[in-house]
Amino acid sequence: MLTRIAGGRVIDPANGRDGVGDIWMRDERIVAPPGDDARPDATYDVSGKIVMAGAIDIHSHIAGSHVNTARLLLPEAYAEVPCVPPSFVTGCRYAAMGFTLVVEPAVAPTYATQAHLELADIPMIDKATLAVLGNDDFLLDLLRRRESAAAVRDYVAWTLGTARALGIKVINAGGAAAFKTNVRAFSLDDVVPYYGVSSRTIVKALQQAVHELGVPHPLHVHCNNLGLAGNVDTTLATIAAAEDLPLHLAHLQFYGYGKDGPLGFSSAAPVLAEAVNRAKNVTIDVGQVMFGPTVTISSDVLRQFNARHRANPRKWLIQDGDGNGGGVVPYRYRADDFYNAVQWAVGLELFLLIDDPAQVFFTTDHPNGAPFTAYPDLFALLMDRDLREQWIATSPDDAMAVTTLKSIRREYSLTDIAIMTRAAPARLLGLPDRGHLGPGARADIAIYFDDDDRAKMFRAAHLVFKDGEPVVRDGEVFRVRWGRALDVRPQPDAAMARRMNDYCGERYGLPASFLRVPEGALPRPEPFECVPCAQ
Amino acid sequence: MGHAWIDGNPVALDAAAAEAARLLRAARLPVIAGLGTDIAGARAAIALAQALGGVIDHMHSDALLRDLAVMREAGVIMTTPNEALLRADTVLAIGSALQVRPELERSLRAPPTAPEIGSGVKRRVFCLCPPRGKPEGAERTIGRQLDELPALLAALRARVAGRPVNATAALTRSLDALATDLQAARFGVVVWWAAELDALAIEMLCGLVDDLNARIRFAGLAITPPDNAGGVMQACGWMTGFPMRTGFGRGRPEHDPWRHDAARLIASREADCVLWISAYGGGSPERSGDVPIVALTGDDTSPAGARVVIQVGRPGLDHDAVEHVAATGMLAASTAKAPREIISVAQAIARIASCLPGGPGAPAC
Repeated sequence: MLTRIAGGRVIDPANGRDGVGDIWMRDERIVAPPGDDARPDATYDVSGKIVMAGAIDIHSHIAGSHVNTARLLLPEAYAEVPCVPPSFVTGCRYAAMGFTLVVEPAVAPTYATQAHLELADIPMIDKATLAVLGNDDFLLDLLRRRESAAAVRDYVAWTLGTARALGIKVINAGGAAAFKTNVRAFSLDDVVPYYGVSSRTIVKALQQAVHELGVPHPLHVHCNNLGLAGNVDTTLATIAAAEDLPLHLAHLQFYGYGKDGPLGFSSAAPVLAEAVNRAKNVTIDVGQVMFGPTVTISSDVLRQFNARHRANPRKWLIQDGDGNGGGVVPYRYRADDFYNAVQWAVGLELFLLIDDPAQVFFTTDHPNGAPFTAYPDLFALLMDRDLREQWIATSPDDAMAVTTLKSIRREYSLTDIAIMTRAAPARLLGLPDRGHLGPGARADIAIYFDDDDRAKMFRAAHLVFKDGEPVVRDGEVFRVRWGRALDVRPQPDAAMARRMNDYCGERYGLPASFLRVPEGALPRPEPFECVPCAQ
Repeated sequence: MGHAWIDGNPVALDAAAAEAARLLRAARLPVIAGLGTDIAGARAAIALAQALGGVIDHMHSDALLRDLAVMREAGVIMTTPNEALLRADTVLAIGSALQVRPELERSLRAPPTAPEIGSGVKRRVFCLCPPRGKPEGAERTIGRQLDELPALLAALRARVAGRPVNATAALTRSLDALATDLQAARFGVVVWWAAELDALAIEMLCGLVDDLNARIRFAGLAITPPDNAGGVMQACGWMTGFPMRTGFGRGRPEHDPWRHDAARLIASREADCVLWISAYGGGSPERSGDVPIVALTGDDTSPAGARVVIQVGRPGLDHDAVEHVAATGMLAASTAKAPREIISVAQAIARIASCLPGGPGAPAC
């Protein structure tokens, strides 16, 4: 089926394109414009509208046992749109905004089966997971015994294959393991009791393994000391620890705090942004805070435990899990609260002070900073300095006094948005056929009204195509279809599979197969799509 | 392939499915109850309830929702079964918790096995109010009957916090000794069975765990009810946003543990048709006058007087399945131990749904 999308302003920075023109698709792929005698089976006249590739969210908590716990924890939230919607609604709402791929960033290998069952029930979008390592006994013991880098590589490869993940996430490396021994704070050079390995050692070992396996997505790091005043020191040290290998730092906003000012809490975004600007091997996603009620879902059990008595409403699940565990803690960000206002400013400062839109990724760490339904308002804040000024004017003065946000004039252009939410994430995840509109690309296309009210523009896409099929019109899904979960499949040494079987027998009394995601049990005919590793 | 009956007479599967669909479609408030099934069956049942505008409830909802109520109204600190075995050096068992899970009791009698906690660590087990007597291997118990538990828990929590209690000197000494032992834990676990407790007692227990965490590490472990209750609750959560006891009569899912209690709906005759699902053989449906029952059950476990019965396989035995595994606390796939040609719950519901106008319902945005 040949389709022509005619006359829109095509913004495709990956291919150096920004101008009025056509996009042609044949079945699920974009093709070069065919000859003059070509007759499209369908034509969509989108003159005056903006045409981009489908958007990609690289860090959003949309599936897995902790996400599901958040749903069960907050039944009262269904009165409006819940901050953690059911799976079906999640896919539809993302598609309505023009998103076509979302990555669930934190799946413990013991919960991978549940995560993939949930993802399979999210319609419309493609998806992926990152498997969590770094507080698991097997890895910590490998490092304790100073086993080879090859052993770590094989274990990482085995984990990726068993959990059907696209990459590896490490969350407060060593912190959850230390918390089980009653350690209550854990930083980059702190050492896990018994194993005798530091957080830094764990991060470096995983960074190296992921890189050597050729997994496109670099190690995805949730640093130590999330949320604490003065934690910028930890973040700068982690950036330096990356050395010259790629590293991705998650929700950096939560790590951008100094200790200045009368309340001992301030924005350190400028020095952090400068460090990111200098470290071309480092990418970050922001984890922007937006005001309103939400729920925090995190496998940083230590952090969630320490924060639980500030829950709003006052309830939580804290779990000492097999490996990382986690915590689900409801929270309300208030525009009139000093700390929350500083957090809000820090996120925007990071967006606006990091120069390269290919180094900074657009997230609210859904739902930790805000539900993903806040994205349209965030796009507007990035693109419109006057709007920012209005928000700043109603923010607490003492909060604005400890940030530089008021002085920043930069506004994101549509091209910047397209780089940050399309071209760069596709590259970061190793997906050459996504994030752009050149021939050969997957026909995942989002078309918007060119509305000066950018929030309105990005809230409801005019048209969205997924794999060449039209699925959304004017912000409403009209055709339900199902995407795939992307995964990488580096082959571990066969000896590691045998070793894991023995280990699971000792540790769990079960064969290793109990961790394997049962592809045949997923309710879609082709649930997965393999992403090649670099070799 | 499968056996099926209408009014006790053997019929072809398709005829039973058609009759089931007819009965369910004619109902104004159909209830899908029991829900003893694997994840695939649960998903199918939830989608069917949505298409019919009915209610879903699980036979063990009472117990499951008690634990859930404490989490969603007060907050809990929990651990997994395997972590408890690996590292708990102090176990406080409530009521019959250990006796209902003999394999857990056996494992907890042995020392914790995680190399990372060091060698020579012993495990001490204490009990409150075990109605079946002191479990083997338990060091001490306090209390005997479950109805003593709320007062004992409150007093124990007070003594842990150093507050005075109105108890005999002897009881206070016992509580103080237990408080001292709990506070000496390196990693303590409280284990309970919601089926024999009420939500307030569980909340007090979880409050005690939270208090203990001010200075030491402690976590709770809830015995999950059988018949894949834990798995069905997870499926309800991601598909509807709610646990079981959710109705679809007004278009969007609504959760109400009282209103959508299947037993109450049937007894009061608000429900006018029941789809009873029990692939593991547990439970039996509430009977009420002439409310018709369609049963999807295993061999020899169909409720007497059911209008339509379709025999279904047992997950993990007759067919592959994904279920909540009690021993690990997670969803996992199991391969059929003795596979045979018999319809599963998911397949039976698909047959029934295909006889409804519009086919199987698709959820709405």
